[in-house]
Amino acid sequence: MGNQEETKDTGAMKAQNGEKGILGEKKPSIITRRDFIKTAAITGVVTAVAPHIWIKPAWASDHLKIGVMIDMSKAYAFLNKQDLLGIKLAVEDAGGKALGKPIEVIARDHRLDPGIANEKAKELYEKEKVDVIIDVPQSACSLAVNEQSRRYKRLFISVDSGTTEQTGDKCNYYGFDWGYDNYMLATAGGLWAAEHLGKKWYAITADYAWGHDLLKNFRAAVEKKGGQIIGNDMVALGTSDFSPYMIKALNSGADVLVLLNAGADTVNSTKAANEFGLKKKMAILHALMFTSNIHATGVDVYQGDYATVSWYWKSENPGAKSYVEQFKKANKGAPPHWLTAANYSATLQFIKAVQRANSKDPDKIIEQLEGHEFRDMFANPGYIYKENHQAINDALIVRCKSQKEITEPWDYFEIVGKVPAREAYQTPEQSGCKMERPA
Amino acid sequence: MVDFRHKNTKKRAKIFYGLAILFLLFLPFLIPYKALGSQILIFMLFAMGYDICLGYAGMLSFGHAAFFGMGAYTTGLLILHYHTNILLAIFAGILFSVLLAFPIGYTAIRRRGIYFAMVTLAYAQMFYFIAFKWTALTGGDDGLQGIPRPDFFGISLQSETSVYYFILGFLLIAILFAFRVVHSPFGHALVSIRESEQRAQSIGFNPARFKLIAFVISAGLCGLAGSLYCILQNFVPLQTLHWSISGDIVMMTILGGMGTLVGPLFGGMFVVLFREVLSTYTHLWALIMGISFIVIVLVFRKGVIGELKKRAVI
Amino acid sequence: MKPRGGPCRRALPKLAVRPDGSPMNTTTIIMMLFNGLVLGSYLVLLSLGLSIIFGMLGVVNFAQGALYMLGAYAGYTCLHFGLNFWVALLVAPLAVAFIASLSERFLIRFLYKEADIYVVLLTFGLMLVFEEVIRLIFGDLGRPIAIPHMLSGALNLGFMYYPKYRLFIIGVTAVCALGTWLILTRTKLGSVIRAGTDDSEMVDALGIHISKIYTGVFAFGAGLAGLAGILAGPLQEVTPLMGNEILIQIFVVVVIGGLGSIAGSIVAGLLVGEVITLGVLFWPPAAMTSIYVFMAIILLVRPRGFFGRVGFHE
Repeated sequence: MGNQEETKDTGAMKAQNGEKGILGEKKPSIITRRDFIKTAAITGVVTAVAPHIWIKPAWASDHLKIGVMIDMSKAYAFLNKQDLLGIKLAVEDAGGKALGKPIEVIARDHRLDPGIANEKAKELYEKEKVDVIIDVPQSACSLAVNEQSRRYKRLFISVDSGTTEQTGDKCNYYGFDWGYDNYMLATAGGLWAAEHLGKKWYAITADYAWGHDLLKNFRAAVEKKGGQIIGNDMVALGTSDFSPYMIKALNSGADVLVLLNAGADTVNSTKAANEFGLKKKMAILHALMFTSNIHATGVDVYQGDYATVSWYWKSENPGAKSYVEQFKKANKGAPPHWLTAANYSATLQFIKAVQRANSKDPDKIIEQLEGHEFRDMFANPGYIYKENHQAINDALIVRCKSQKEITEPWDYFEIVGKVPAREAYQTPEQSGCKMERPA
Repeated sequence: MVDFRHKNTKKRAKIFYGLAILFLLFLPFLIPYKALGSQILIFMLFAMGYDICLGYAGMLSFGHAAFFGMGAYTTGLLILHYHTNILLAIFAGILFSVLLAFPIGYTAIRRRGIYFAMVTLAYAQMFYFIAFKWTALTGGDDGLQGIPRPDFFGISLQSETSVYYFILGFLLIAILFAFRVVHSPFGHALVSIRESEQRAQSIGFNPARFKLIAFVISAGLCGLAGSLYCILQNFVPLQTLHWSISGDIVMMTILGGMGTLVGPLFGGMFVVLFREVLSTYTHLWALIMGISFIVIVLVFRKGVIGELKKRAVI
Repeated sequence: MKPRGGPCRRALPKLAVRPDGSPMNTTTIIMMLFNGLVLGSYLVLLSLGLSIIFGMLGVVNFAQGALYMLGAYAGYTCLHFGLNFWVALLVAPLAVAFIASLSERFLIRFLYKEADIYVVLLTFGLMLVFEEVIRLIFGDLGRPIAIPHMLSGALNLGFMYYPKYRLFIIGVTAVCALGTWLILTRTKLGSVIRAGTDDSEMVDALGIHISKIYTGVFAFGAGLAGLAGILAGPLQEVTPLMGNEILIQIFVVVVIGGLGSIAGSIVAGLLVGEVITLGVLFWPPAAMTSIYVFMAIILLVRPRGFFGRVGFHE
C-alpha cells in the first residue's frame, strides 16, 4: 500500500528545530509544549461552547412549537417541500399565534432514513421541546417517530406515511393519522373501480411491505364488488424493465391493471404500459399519484389513468380557493398536491385544538381532537376517531386528463367519483388498535 | 516495542488523549441532545473497527455495513423475541458478525486489492437484499420496530444519559482491545504484510490467513457497533445494511487518518457532528462532505490525525 | 387461454407453467431473451468502460455508475434545449467523456504514484459529488426523455413484434463493442494502449506520451458509460440515483468476466443481463441474489474470472 507510519530514529532526534535530516530531508520544526497546551485548551473551550452558539439553545418553551420532519434531500423531496409550505400557511391562517405567543415551526430532514428519523425525533422532542411533530413521510420513518412520541409522551400527527400500523398494532395515545392510509387508497380505489371499470383485475405489485399491504386491501375491496384479481406479479423495487409483466397482463384478459407502486417504479411501469399498447385494452389504476408526478413525467404517459386522492386543488371546500391562490403565489404558480393540503389541515386543526384547550398540555389537546368533527378546505367534513386517532375524510377518484382536455396549467385531474369517509377508511374495530390510555 | 518518538511528542500525545477522554466523559452535556452523543460513540467504534481492515490489513472493504447490520439485527431479534440478557444479546451480535466474516473474507481475500472492494460491496448488497425480502424475520423495509431496552444488571438504561455511558464503556474496552491487537506481534506482522506481501511471505508469514483474521476481528468490532446501535435506537432500520453506510465509514476513516486507530475515532466523531450541524443549516451539506472527502484524498491523505502524527505533533 | 390484443401473436404451444400458474409460451420467452440482451447491453457498455479504464490505469472507477447517470442527464439537457435525439446521442457521451477527462487530468492524475486505493477512493468521492451536483441542479424528481419518433413502435420480426427502440439499443451496443475490440486489436493506438496495460513505463520510455493516453482512455471508458446512460434514459426514470444500482451489477459482471478483459466484459455482461431478466420470469425472489451467488462461485472456482489474466494488476 505504500504509506508508512513515520517513526523517527535517533538520527532524526538530533535533527530538530528545522535542521536537515540524514538524507537531507527537512525536519518539522518543533512546537513547544506551551503552544500545544494553549491550542488544546482553546480547542477544548471552543468545542464545549461552540454547539451552544451554532445551535440555538431551545427557548424555554412557553410558546407553541411545531416540528416538521420531511425528506428534504432524497426521492420525496420534491413532494415534501410543498408540505412544509402548506404547514407554514396553516400557521399563518390560524393567526400565527397561539396562547398569546407566536408559533414557531422547525423543520428537519430525515433523508428517508428511519435511523435518522429516530434521531431527529429525539432531538425535536428533547432539545427543541416541540409540542407536536407533523408529517414524516415513509412508513418506517413514521413508525420510528411514533415510538419516540410514545416514549416522550408528546404529540405526533402522521400525514404522508400510509402504514395502517399507525392506527393498528402500533397505535399510540399521542399519535394521530391524517390524510390517508393504505387501506383507504386500496379500498376507495378498489370499490369504485370494480364497479365502474371492470371486474377482472391484474395487479403489478412492488415487492415489499407497502405493496403487499395494498394488494391485500385491494383484493378485499374488489371481491366485495364481485370482482377478482386474476393475476399478480411481485416486482422488485427499482426494476426498470416492466415489459415481461406488461406482456403477461395483456395476455390475461383483464379489464383493469392496477399498479401498486410509487415513484420511479410507477414511471417505468406506466411507460411500459404505454409502450406495449396496454391502454387500448384495459384501464389503469394507480395506487398513489400526485399532480407533481404528471408534471414531471408528462401528460402523455399518464393520460386516461385513474387514481385515488384525498383532495384536488380545484376543490370546492370552504377556503380551498383562497388557499390555493395563496399557495400558488408562494410556490411559483404551482398549486399544492393533496398531501400538502392534508398537512395544512392537520396543522390548522392542531392549532385550533390548542386554542380550544387553552393549554399546551398534550392530554388536553388530545381531548379536543378525539371525536372531533371539523370542516376545513381539506376535509368537508372530517372526523377523528377516538379509538384509534384516525382522521377520516372523503376519498376522491380522479382520472388523468389528456393534453387536449387540459385548459389551465396543472389541471391534470378530473374528479370522476367519490367514496364516503366511513366506507373508505377502516372502522376502529377493523384497525385492531388497542390504545393504552394514561390513567 | 520501543516508542521512538521524541519525548515532547509523546507528552503532547498524552495530553491530547487525556483531553479527548475527558471530552468524551462530559460529551452528553456539551452537545444539543444526548442521543447524538451515543450516535457519535457508535460511529467512532464502527470506524475504528473498520480501520483494522483498511488501515492495518490494507484491505479496502465496501461491505462492512453487512457486519454492522448483522450485529444490529442479531441483538435486536434476541431482545425483541426472547428478551435475552443485554450482554448476551450484544455478545451474540459480535459472534454472528464474526461468523459471517469468515465466508465473506475467505472468498473475497482470494482477490487482492482492487477486486476486494467490489466483491465486498456485492456481498453486502446481497445481505441487504435478503433482509429486505425476509420481512417475517427482519421487518423488511420497515425494519425491526419496537425493541425494548433491557436493564443492565438492574441498572435501567431508559434514560439517554445512562445508555450513553453504557456505550462509552464498551467503546473504551474496544479501544483497549484494538490497541492490544495492533501493537501485538500479530499487528506488526499485519503491517509488514500490508507494506509488502511478497517480503512477508518470504519470511514465512501466510498473508491470506493474517488478512482473514484481521478481517474477522474488524467484523466483530463493527458488529459490536451494530449491536449497540440497536440498543440505542430501539429499532433496527434496513439502512444499517445499506452500502451507503459502508461508504460513510470509509469517509470517516480516511478523514481521521487510516492506520492510526485514533484517526478513525476522531473521524467518526467529526463526521457525525459535522453532518448533524450542517444538515440543520444547509441542504448543500452532502456536497460539502463529498468535496471535503476529495480534498482529503488528494492533499491530506493521512487524514487529520495522520497528518498531525506525521508532523510529530502528537 | 386465447391471447388478446396487443402485438399480433399466433397461438403457440404452452411450454411451461409459471409458479403463479399462468402459462408461458415461446414468444414470451423469446421476448424475455431479447429484454435480457437490452439489460445486458447497458452492462456491456458500462463494464467495457470499467475494464478498459482498469486495464490501462489500474483504476477501479467507482464513478462509472455516476457517469452513466451523467450521460442520461446530458441527454435530457440536450433535448431540453431543443436538440434532437440523434444529436444528443452524440453529444451526451462526449460531454461525459469531457467531464471525465477533466477529472482525470486535474484530480486523479496526482494519485497514480500513490497506493491504488487512493484512486479508488477519489473516484468514490467523485461519484458522491456528481450525484449531489446533479441533485442540486435538477432536483430529485425524475426527468423524462422521450423515445425518438423514428424508433418508437414495434418491429415485426416474423415470429413476434419487438419494440424498435430496444433493438436499437442492442444494435448500438454491438457496434460499439465491436468497434472497441477492433480499435484495441487492429490499430496502432490500440497496441500502444495494450502495451501500456502491461508496462506503462516502457511505453513512456519509448517516447509516447503516456499521460495523454491515460486521459484518453479514461475519457473513452467514461464515454461508454455516458452512452449507456442516454440509451437507457427513455426506458427508465432519469434520477440522480440511477447509477447506484447498476454500479453494483457491473462490479459483479467484471468479477465474473475478469477485470481488464474485453471479451470477459461482453460475455459476462450479456450473461448477467439474461440471468437477471430470466430470473425475474422464473423465480422473482432469487433473480437478484442469484448473480451474487454466481459471483461467489466464480471467486471460489476461478478467482480471476472467465477471461481474466493471471497476475494482471494484482
